[in-house]
Amino acid sequence: MELLVLLYALSTLYFLLMVWKWVGAKRDQECYILDYECYKPTDDRMLGTKFCGEIITRTKNLGLLECRFLLRAIVSAGLGEQTYAPRIMFSGREDNPTLLDGISEMEEFFEDCIANLLSRSGISPSEIDVLVVNVAMLSSVPSLSARIINQYKMRDDIKVFNLTAMGCSASLISVDIVKNLFKSYKNLFALVVTSESLSPNWYSGNDRSMILTNCLFRSGGSAILLTNKRAMSNRAMFRLKCLVRTHHGARDESYGCCMQKEDEQGRVGINLGKTLPKAATRALADNLRQISPKILPMRELVRFMVVNLARKMNGSSSEKTTGAPKTKVNFKTGVDHFCVHTGGKAVIDGIGTSLNLSEYDVEPARMTLHRFGNTSASSIWYVLGYMEAKKRLKKGDKVFMVSFGAGFKCNSSLWEVMRDMGDGNVWKDCIDRYPVKTSDNPFMEKYGWINQEMDLDPSTFKLVPDYI
Amino acid sequence: MPPSSPNFSSSVKLKYVKLGYQYLVNHILTLTLIPIMAGVLIEVLRMGPEEILNLWKSLNFDLVQILCCSFLIVFVTTVYFMSKPRTIFLVDYACFKPPMTCRVPFATFMEHSRLILKDKPKSVEFQMRILERSGLGEETCLPPAIHYIPPTPTMEAARGEAELVIFSAMNSLFEKTGLKPKDIDILIVNCSLFSPTPSLSAMVINKYKLRSNIKSFNLSGMGCSAGLISVDLARDLLQVHPNSNAVIVSTEIITPNYYQGNERAMLLPNCLFRMGGAAILLSNRTSERRRAKYRLVHVVRTHKGADDKAYRCVFEEEDKEGNVGISLQKDLMAIAGEALKSNITTIGPLVLPASEQLLFLLTLIGRKIFNPKWKPYIPDFKQAFEHFCIHAGGRAVIDELQKNLQLSAEHVEASRMTLHRFGNTSSSSLWYEMSYIESKGRMRRGDRVWQIAFGSGFKCNSAVWKCNRTIKTPSDGPWADCIDRYPVYIPEVVKL
Repeated sequence: MELLVLLYALSTLYFLLMVWKWVGAKRDQECYILDYECYKPTDDRMLGTKFCGEIITRTKNLGLLECRFLLRAIVSAGLGEQTYAPRIMFSGREDNPTLLDGISEMEEFFEDCIANLLSRSGISPSEIDVLVVNVAMLSSVPSLSARIINQYKMRDDIKVFNLTAMGCSASLISVDIVKNLFKSYKNLFALVVTSESLSPNWYSGNDRSMILTNCLFRSGGSAILLTNKRAMSNRAMFRLKCLVRTHHGARDESYGCCMQKEDEQGRVGINLGKTLPKAATRALADNLRQISPKILPMRELVRFMVVNLARKMNGSSSEKTTGAPKTKVNFKTGVDHFCVHTGGKAVIDGIGTSLNLSEYDVEPARMTLHRFGNTSASSIWYVLGYMEAKKRLKKGDKVFMVSFGAGFKCNSSLWEVMRDMGDGNVWKDCIDRYPVKTSDNPFMEKYGWINQEMDLDPSTFKLVPDYI
Repeated sequence: MPPSSPNFSSSVKLKYVKLGYQYLVNHILTLTLIPIMAGVLIEVLRMGPEEILNLWKSLNFDLVQILCCSFLIVFVTTVYFMSKPRTIFLVDYACFKPPMTCRVPFATFMEHSRLILKDKPKSVEFQMRILERSGLGEETCLPPAIHYIPPTPTMEAARGEAELVIFSAMNSLFEKTGLKPKDIDILIVNCSLFSPTPSLSAMVINKYKLRSNIKSFNLSGMGCSAGLISVDLARDLLQVHPNSNAVIVSTEIITPNYYQGNERAMLLPNCLFRMGGAAILLSNRTSERRRAKYRLVHVVRTHKGADDKAYRCVFEEEDKEGNVGISLQKDLMAIAGEALKSNITTIGPLVLPASEQLLFLLTLIGRKIFNPKWKPYIPDFKQAFEHFCIHAGGRAVIDELQKNLQLSAEHVEASRMTLHRFGNTSSSSLWYEMSYIESKGRMRRGDRVWQIAFGSGFKCNSAVWKCNRTIKTPSDGPWADCIDRYPVYIPEVVKL
């Protein structure tokens, strides 16, 4: 009989062991952000109003109408005087960029940002197991990820991926790759490096739908260190709760609204079509529809369903369909902070209305647009940095990130804050000046008169020469 | 006295010794199990049926105990099977067959070269010498924009080439597998040197109206080994998403990357790179188990970027006149050999049979302890694989690998013939080689295939596939109309 008892005991123990391993494996699959660092270029790269005027006048191909269009764009863009431009703008060579310009711009960013991040978190480069780099507009041989591996002497069995051309939402796509890898492998450190290459992509023609990108994009980047090690969870800053990607490339208007092509003179630029806002709203609506069940509490979902049902029944019973406002989901029940991609003032306003956000909610995004401009894929990390610097993030808070990209994509994710945070990070030396009112900005002061200029007479039209 | 006869008989004896040793070590478990089973059987027969029945009755089982025991066994077995990683199947793949109008025979290439580089006869001479020794044939293809004199590499033309290559391959894949566009869950596109906004993956999603919750990724800049990197990513994603299909598109768009200067190290890629592409369907659905062609066994990636020499050996840069091109350094072969060695040290223990590993271990111990002068034992990879697909990077790469791995001419035939017929099509060349082996009717069920690719950076990636079913000679595919002419003899130098 003793043998039998032993047999039973062994089987039960094995069964308990398997259950314990399975539970442990689930806990090891969490995606934590250990630390992140946003790039602050050196002050000699700041783009003020004076210099913007210089750039416009020296661009030979711009006619009168284009100048006016550009000035109007700059005035209402919501950018401040401290955004950063690539070095090539300051040497006047933006019409003839070389490959080296693009690469050195990226290397400057890698040397600064990644080194700071790794030294602050105490992780050595040889401990990194996964590296994902996304820089949309530069693809070189060897890839930028290979450059990082070479510079920091990372291991030879590293899993590395180099994503390009995925637009301003690419950093969440990189996080998606990392999240999936964390589910299959244990004890990994992952480094996500996201930035945008501006030097080789200055549009030197005069097609109006293409020159807008020249005004909006600014230099910036960020590096994020992620891990799924359980032991690191007490040092972690954020935990990923869910991530949803929506791709509307199947619709032709969504696909064609943001396309890189050649203009009539053969110059390459990014054409922003008129269907862009509509494509963005549609993609955002679809994405929210998918992510709301995952992030909102049950009572909000039930309330929404009940109200919608009641409204439908009311609407079907009465003959006239009045222009009653559609029921909106209250995202604030499940989300405390909103990281909105700083695509431009219109984008932030649009998302604010869709999600029913207050000025307080969109303040981080507006201030990031003012201070750093549209830094493409890394912008949401600057917005996150603002919230951290303003000490808004407390343990248990939920942060919602949403961004758009060419194609047309809308990606969003929900993060849970793991501990109270208050580090100044990239906003350290200017956070006390914020928030500022973006309606009175220096561009408006200097060039606001352009909005009143109805008919332009070439003989009298001159940019005020006080900056010479 | 000629020493050949004794040597011959001793080498034959050595061969049998080696065979015997391999058989012994590889089947050691079976060989130890047989005597034990025989012993048990004899004991049972000796005891007779009466005693066995008595033994059984003395165990005193009752119903509850039996139920509990069997339930536990069933549960433990289920948990074991569920915790195994999902099998990834390669259902099918399709290679792009370039139209004959894009053909670039040697005569065309040299004529264009003379017209474009008319002020630089030395560069023309250099290109001719490369072409003579390249191992390429007369049927390789370049995209239409490059046929112009001078070439017209506009973005429009590059997109045109991308659409031609990718859409043809995808259409062919849909036809072969019966896959519906709405069933694609994961899409990975890799193209090293052309990444327009929106990405090529968005272009595929737009053309075929794929679902809005598709997981798409656009890898670029990762060189000729990017196809295997995509397979690695697809595998990791398929482990996490059950019941999914993944489509990988591997290609290289030549149009924007034709070097228009005359720096020699940069003219080399012009001579070797040709138009090509492949679309591959991977799946982890159990319903595909029957019709899938291959099963993915391993993917091993090695990155030598930390070493500066390896990092610089394939480098895109501008020459003195500002023309952008890819320069290949002279030590490329040595670095490739090093990267391969690193990759082999990781993959060896996973795929080599026990006999080879034991020999390697013994020689290693011997070198460390007894005599460092012993030659390092190079494991015999022919024991582990039936077929080899070596990236057709160039004749030198294939020669180097053939030497390093001690392969016969038949093993590298697929690579050499692919280089001859299609040129270096970068990341898709491995799939042309697989297609060659299938078209020759050599792929049998249970055969193991090793795909090796090198890439800039410097990377060496390899994948191991196991053939799931004996593959009938395909009636379509890139080799359909010319397989009977192959293999051809490729001379060292083709006089031009």
